This record gives sequence, structure tokens and C-alpha cells, in this order.
Amino acid sequence: MKTSVLAFGLMAATALTSQAHADKLDDIIASGTLRCAVVLDFPPMGSRDASNNPIGFDVDYCNDLAKALGVTAEIVETPFPERIPALMSGRVDVGVASTSDTLERAKTVGMTVPYFAFQMAVTSNDKTGIKSFEDMKGKVVGATAGTYEAIALEKQVKEWGAGEFRPYQTQADVFLALSQGQLDATVSTSTVAQANVKTGKFPGISVVGNAPFDIDYVALFTNREEYGLINYLNLFINQQVRTGRYNELYEKWVGGEVPSLAVNGVYR
Amino acid sequence: MFNYTFHWNQALKALPQMLDGALVTLQIALLSMIIGMAIAIALTLFRLSGNRLLGGFATAWVEVARNTPALFQIYMAHFGLGNFGIHLSPFVALLVGIAFNNAGYLAENFRGALKAIPETQTRAGRSLGMTSLQAFRLIVMPQMLRVAFLPATNQMVWAILMTSLGVTVGMNTDLAGVTQELNARSFRTFEFFAIAAVIYYVIAKAVTLAARVFAARMFRY
Amino acid sequence: MFNTALSWSDLAFLAQGAGMTLAVTAVSVAAGTVLGILFGVIRFQVGPYWAAPLTFVLDVFRSVPLLIQLVLGNALQAIMKLGWAPFTTSCVVLSLYTAAYCTEIVRGGIDSVPTNTRRAARSLGMSWFQDMRYIVAPLAVRVSLPSWIGLTLGVMKDSALVLWLGLIELLRASQILVTRLQEPLFILLICGAIYFIISLPIARLGGYLEKRWSPND
Repeated sequence: MKTSVLAFGLMAATALTSQAHADKLDDIIASGTLRCAVVLDFPPMGSRDASNNPIGFDVDYCNDLAKALGVTAEIVETPFPERIPALMSGRVDVGVASTSDTLERAKTVGMTVPYFAFQMAVTSNDKTGIKSFEDMKGKVVGATAGTYEAIALEKQVKEWGAGEFRPYQTQADVFLALSQGQLDATVSTSTVAQANVKTGKFPGISVVGNAPFDIDYVALFTNREEYGLINYLNLFINQQVRTGRYNELYEKWVGGEVPSLAVNGVYR
Repeated sequence: MFNYTFHWNQALKALPQMLDGALVTLQIALLSMIIGMAIAIALTLFRLSGNRLLGGFATAWVEVARNTPALFQIYMAHFGLGNFGIHLSPFVALLVGIAFNNAGYLAENFRGALKAIPETQTRAGRSLGMTSLQAFRLIVMPQMLRVAFLPATNQMVWAILMTSLGVTVGMNTDLAGVTQELNARSFRTFEFFAIAAVIYYVIAKAVTLAARVFAARMFRY
Repeated sequence: MFNTALSWSDLAFLAQGAGMTLAVTAVSVAAGTVLGILFGVIRFQVGPYWAAPLTFVLDVFRSVPLLIQLVLGNALQAIMKLGWAPFTTSCVVLSLYTAAYCTEIVRGGIDSVPTNTRRAARSLGMSWFQDMRYIVAPLAVRVSLPSWIGLTLGVMKDSALVLWLGLIELLRASQILVTRLQEPLFILLICGAIYFIISLPIARLGGYLEKRWSPND
């Protein structure tokens, strides 16, 4: 009886330790594919081309990462709300999905150092005459649910005590609503705003200025306990900047001044 | 076992917020039911009227409402109408979408219920000097509502379940909207949605029970 | 007068979405019906008292919004590290959802067979299984089929919700095209028309059978 308990304990222990040996980084290299969660209605970070294939900054970033690991990349489209379940269930290895690195979320998933930084911009429907962030007071404003800017904007609307805040589930719906006049203005990342206005598909909207929110740093994410992989990802992000690839991709998809990924006066 | 630690404590802190959302859910469901019922009665009258235009309109409404997804109807109410410059707030769009759906299904229920009422009764009413509208209102409708009450209760439960689709059109005050926002903020999907599921279940059961008690009092012979 | 950027390849994309809708529906209805018959027979056979736990579980599936069920199911499989693709998760959740409704239909069907008929069968020496197979099944199917067709249609429409898990079915395919082409009304109308075209024949068949098999008409 006692021996069997002991034997079982030993077996369990070996099972546990042997599990700990092969971590996710090993698994990815062994399997030969890197599966990235990417949001595909978030141009220029992720979108679809005319033949409905995935393209964008995040898509390229995933491909680079796969190349560094010596494996092939697989883009798994995930709507914003689906990013985390996809990771948890092991359907994807890494999220390359413009995910803001909030402390609240870091309780659930493991965040890397920032790989991209968004400035927040106000985009308004021309008919409303909104010319700045302050003009949005008392108007109907919206943003993509759960994003950094949505949380900040909703708080601001509550502070103003006037107007209405509406979260939409996708960035595309926000701009659709804005161009239809359902929303008077939106706060989104300036890259996304510029990219959407530039397409010319949404007549009557324009970017009118910056929102006074902090810079939104977004990180790659994976399971919280996968330190080996997170370590690798951190170095990878560092190398992307060092080798100039970050600038190159920024120029390709966004253009203009490249935002710094470093925060002044503090280490990460 | 799961390699996942549940954070129930944190999730339960949001319970008051979610219960507020549940109230909004109930409110939309009730309103959509009242509006849907009124439209369904009108559609039933249209169908009975013998006027081909009105009858065709009613049939088209019922067919579209029953043969396209509710999510599609709500999406249409918001973004489809938005195309014409008709701007409905998420609350109204959701209400319109569900009321449209309710009206279609209820009208079909009424049609079934009408079959159970012999036509001779209407004729009897008419021969007593009632107008056809009076005959419908005073003789047919009370019986029709009685027969259709149970299916209508089911529709009410459906309406409650349908309110959860509001998140797709920017609704953030109903139960599903509140839940989704909490989820997006913390990524604790399972905890928040499990609580939401329990609340939905309780609401649905409460409504069914209330309807049963109501029916027992109203429809005693 | 009418200009659209919608190309043939986009229509093919929509058709693919419709294919996904049909695939999810077919799998879920098939699995849900098998489960529904099983649960329905069990519920009828063991009586309300012993079937209470089963009744309760199935009732939950009918009292919680499908959207919540899908999200929960997905989160659960994620936590259990099952690694299911969205298609699998969607089909499993939708099958259980279908089964919950199908059970009621099956139970109602069996209920509608007069006890005397069944007693007669048993006294002719038929086994329980023979009675079920040759007496109950043909009669119950007649009663249940119209509601079952209604259920199939319902599941097809409800399957639109699987877009939440990232499955590109008909409605999601339309949304993607709306995003790219910015013609919401036109594309949504096409989407609605496709749903209509798929469901109308099935609905008509249901109406026809209802009329034809209705005992009192």
C-alpha cells in the first residue's frame, strides 16, 4: 500500500519534471510551426488584401519571428475577444495582436517588452465640427471595446459627465459607425486612424488631432509561466529595433516618425 | 489540474455592476415584447384583412423575421439603417431588432392560435351587429391571446436571450455588454461569463415562473 | 446607376462563408439529433424524478444565451488545454444546444403515442425495442418532424453566432467584405438573401409536411 503510494508519487514527480523540461520554446522549434494570433480588422497592423489574405505589420512581425526561430509561421485570425482563449487552449503560441500591456491583463497572460507604441488620435465626422479632443465633450464617441483607448475614453466621458460612450467589438465597426454619423468622433491609435482615413473608403471623416492619453505600448504575449519564451521574445524585439527591421516595417506599413519603444527614466 | 487559477474573488466584485446590466437586459426584453406584441396583432389583422398589399407586407415581415438570424437583424438595424442616415443608438437598434424578430414569431403564433377559434364565432358576432373589428377585438383576440400565451412566454425567454447580441452594435449597459467589457479589461473570460450565465438562467426561470403564475390567475375557466 | 466594388471573388468568399454555415449546421443538427433522441428516450423511460438532473442540465442550455454558451465553452476548452479549433468548439456547443431542444421534441413525440397502442404492441409479444422501433418511432416522427425542421432552421440561424470565435461563416464573411468595401447595406442585403434562400425551401418543406400530416385537417 505504502509502496504504491510512493511509486505513484515518484511517477507523478517524474511526469511533472519531464513536463517542465520541454517548455513552449522547445515545443515550437520541435513542431516546426509558430502559430500567431493576429487581429485582421485592424489596419495597418492586420488586415486582408483584395484576395482576402492576411497582411499587415503584425503579420510581417510574426513572419520575422518565425524566421528567427527557424520555423514556418501560421497566422491564426482572432477577433479581439478571442485572443486569450486561443492562447489558453494552445491553439496559438504567441499573440502578435497589438495588445496593450495593462497590469490588469498581466495577471492573466505574460507580456513582453513593448514591440510597438501607439499615439492616440482623435478622428471625427466632418459634419460635427469637432476640431480637438476637448470638443468631444458632450458628443457621442466610441472606440474598440476593451482597448487601451476605449478604457481611457470611457473614463473621460464619465468625468465630463456629458455625452455618450459606445464600445464596438471591432475597429472596423467603429469607423463604419463614424462615417455613417452614428458616432461623432472616436479616439483610436493614430496609425489606425491614418490608415483608415487614407483608404478613402470612409468619406467625411478626418483625423483632427492627438488625444492627451499616455502612449499606448503594446506587447507580444504568451502564457504567463513561459519565461523561456518570453525571454526569447524580449530579445527578439530588441534585435528587431537594433537591426533596423522595426524602422523598415514601420516605414512600410505606417510611415512617418518612428515612435520610441523606450520609456524615459525607468528600466523594464 | 487545469494549470489555470480561477480568480473568482475579483470576478465577484463586479457582481453589482452585472446585476445592473441584468436590469437593462430585462427592460429591453420587456419593451421589445410589448412592441412586438402590438405589431404582431397588427400583422395578424393585415393577414386577415384580405387586402393583398397589406397581407403581402405582413407575410414578408414574418418570413424575413423567421428566416434570417437575429444577429443579422440587429446588425441591420444599426449599420444597415445607418446607411440611410437613420441613426439608432445601440439601445434602440437592439430594441428595434428584437421587436422586429418578436413581431414575426408572435404573428406566426397568432396565426396558429386563430386556427383554434372557430370562424362561426366571428360570424355569430357579426350577426349580432358587431363590426368585423369589434368581432376581432372582443371575441377572437381574447381567445387568441389565451391560446398563444404559452408560445409567447417562450418568445419572451427568447427575447431575453437575444438581448445578449447587443454587444455587436456597441451596447455596453446590458448584461452581456457589461460582461464583455469586464472580460476585455482583464481577460478573465471564464469567470465573468460563468457568472453571466447564472444570471441569465435565473432571469429566464423567473420570467417563466411569473408567466405561469400569471396564466393560472388570468386564464381560469 | 448602381455601382459596386463587389467582385466575383468576393461572392465566392461569401459562398464559402455560407458553406461554413451549412457545415456547422449539418454537424450540429446531426449530432444534436442523435443526442436528443437518446436523451428524449431516457427522459421518457426513467420518468421525471430520475431524469431531473438531465432535465436541469438541458434546461440550462435553453435558458442561457447561445453567445454566452459559446464564449464559455471556448474558455472552458481553453482552460482544459484541449486545443480545439473554433470549428470543433462551435460544433460541440451547438450540438448540445440542439440536443437540449431536440430532447423536448422527441419526448413530446413519444408522449403523443397513445399508451394503449403501445400496450397492444407489447401484448402481441413485441420486445421494448421492437415496440419502439415499429410502433413508436413511425408515429412519433410524424408528430415531431415539423418541430424538428423548425429546430434545424433555428440552429442554422443561430450558427451565425460562431463568428464570435473567429469562424468565418456567412455573416462574418459579409462583415469582412463590409470592412473592405464599405457598402454595408448592399452586402448585408445579399447576406440576408442568402440566409433566406437557404432556409426557405426547408421551411416550405416543414409547412408542407405539417399540412399533410396534420391529423385533424
